[in-house]
Amino acid sequence: MKLNRPSPAPHSETIVALIDVVFFLLVFFMLIGRMDATAPFEVHPPVADSGSDMPAGGATLSVGAAGDLALDGQPLAGPEALAQALTRRLGPEPDLRLRVNAHRDAELRHVLPLVGAAEALGVRDVVLVVTPGPVP
Amino acid sequence: MAGLTLKRPTRPRALISLVPMIDVMLILLVFFMVTSTYLNLDMIPAARRAEAPGAPPSGPGESGTVMIRLGADGVPVLRGRAMGGAALTAALAGVLAETPLAQVIVLPSGAATTQALVSVMDAAAQAGAVRLRVVRLEARP
Repeated sequence: MKLNRPSPAPHSETIVALIDVVFFLLVFFMLIGRMDATAPFEVHPPVADSGSDMPAGGATLSVGAAGDLALDGQPLAGPEALAQALTRRLGPEPDLRLRVNAHRDAELRHVLPLVGAAEALGVRDVVLVVTPGPVP
Repeated sequence: MAGLTLKRPTRPRALISLVPMIDVMLILLVFFMVTSTYLNLDMIPAARRAEAPGAPPSGPGESGTVMIRLGADGVPVLRGRAMGGAALTAALAGVLAETPLAQVIVLPSGAATTQALVSVMDAAAQAGAVRLRVVRLEARP
């Protein structure tokens, strides 16, 4: 009498290899990705050679090419709204770092007064966001 | 042949099923892939703490002042001569070789672009300027 054995079920080690690969990809994307709130408009920061690494934290002020404003992804109506929002943020966090992420084609009359206004409000740490690369 | 029964060996079951974990990891993976951006960002200080009131002023004898005017067309002008990036770096390096602590003041036009200002700041940094100031425009946009 001959009994056919049921074909053995595929072993679970193949699944372990898949889990390994997926886990590596997961860690890769967690390390690489930035979870910053993006502006509701297009912002291409200027290119510079002499920038230094940007630490995390702080508030990000985005300035569009036409002078549109957004603080941490929330659009702002104008400099007055920015002053109000910054005042609210500075209350619990007096050492707030303000990152000015201005579009490379934004005119300075839209950008520099904001830096001055932020300093007048008490922000002592203002940085300009740039992209590393050769200056055009 | 009555009563012949063949018992299959009971397969040892895994304690925890791996399938839900794989599901969760795949969802996390897709989430991070979608939310990731690959921008490589650096920063340039725009307001230094050292320039806050209380910083010791340097003596007038050991330092001079160099002013770079940034025109509306984005071309920097140093001592009356318009010059581009590499020429500006060379000229500034020449000035800074004589007076290493010279203060570099950038007077930008409001119509110049942010890239033009950053390029000038970049050139000054490459020339070795340690004291750089950007004259702020106070007018409302």
